[in-house]
Amino acid sequence: MPTQLLFTRILNAHFAAPVDALLRTLHVHPTYPEAPMTNAFAMELLVFCGLLLYFVVVRLSLQVEKPTTVQNFAEMTHEFVSGQAESIIGHGYQRFLSYLTVLGMFILLSNLMGLVPGLASPTADAVVPLGFAILTFLYYHYHGVRVNGWRYVKQFLGPVWWLAWLLLPIEIISHLARMLSLTVRLYANMLAGGLVTLAFFSLIPVFVPIPFMILHLLVALVQAFVFMALAMSYLSLSTSHDH
Amino acid sequence: MRTLQYIFMTLSALLLATPAFAQGSGDAASIYAPLAAGIGMGIASGLCGIGQGKAIASSSEAVARNPGARPAIFLFLMLGLAFIESLALFTFVIIYLFVK
Repeated sequence: MPTQLLFTRILNAHFAAPVDALLRTLHVHPTYPEAPMTNAFAMELLVFCGLLLYFVVVRLSLQVEKPTTVQNFAEMTHEFVSGQAESIIGHGYQRFLSYLTVLGMFILLSNLMGLVPGLASPTADAVVPLGFAILTFLYYHYHGVRVNGWRYVKQFLGPVWWLAWLLLPIEIISHLARMLSLTVRLYANMLAGGLVTLAFFSLIPVFVPIPFMILHLLVALVQAFVFMALAMSYLSLSTSHDH
Repeated sequence: MRTLQYIFMTLSALLLATPAFAQGSGDAASIYAPLAAGIGMGIASGLCGIGQGKAIASSSEAVARNPGARPAIFLFLMLGLAFIESLALFTFVIIYLFVK
């Protein structure tokens, strides 16, 4: 049995049987049938529910005369994301705002969860950032094909036709490496931040870990921003028209 | 010159002898793995520090010269730092995954 957080234990105590049945229909056999849900999954579910609740509350409390605190916060987020998207993607950025905002907020909330006692960062598990990276990869290729049509393939062939045989494998590898680097950057940052705090906590448990927790807080904010900004720049590269 | 020759001879003898010592307590690779991890991580984070320092130095110089370009410079600085940092983090992940 792996060590489980409180929320994971509650989930596994109530929903282990239906989740096992679902996994069996997909031909997946969990290592621990009595605890099929990992900590990362439980934390992701928590973030998902929190964000859903937040967006529902924002939508219900929207008003022009007297904006509430929640609405002010949502407007601030929207202004920040759309400002960055306009400066990176440029014309036609509005279409991607919903995905980018949700991606940024999901990662930010996941990163910050590691600082709360009793919760863990789901992004410190390699599969969660991999999921974000694969989704971003599929998203920007979809929009590249949507905007450029069949001419999107020309982006992979380089500037001149007689170098295409050399540049096509290089471009394919570099696009796959984007996925790897997005994953490893977020995962390793979150894991390393937690490990450093833990190491100093095991040396001197009073006051000394606090600077490292503050550093981890800054890293959590910056990494969420960086993931979002990189998704924006990949989108801008794939949807740009070559003239 | 003669002293140096003796020193190198002693060192080569020691280097030849270490596999013999290591055979007593299991695999030789597992003994040197933590040492390699420490040296590798030291090189990676030191060079990463130099790279990030150069990036931050030139970006703060750029902001001092042209404060109007602050948002664009900030964006490039953040992306650049993330790219530089990820190289050190690759080393960290390899160490974390392969060194027990």
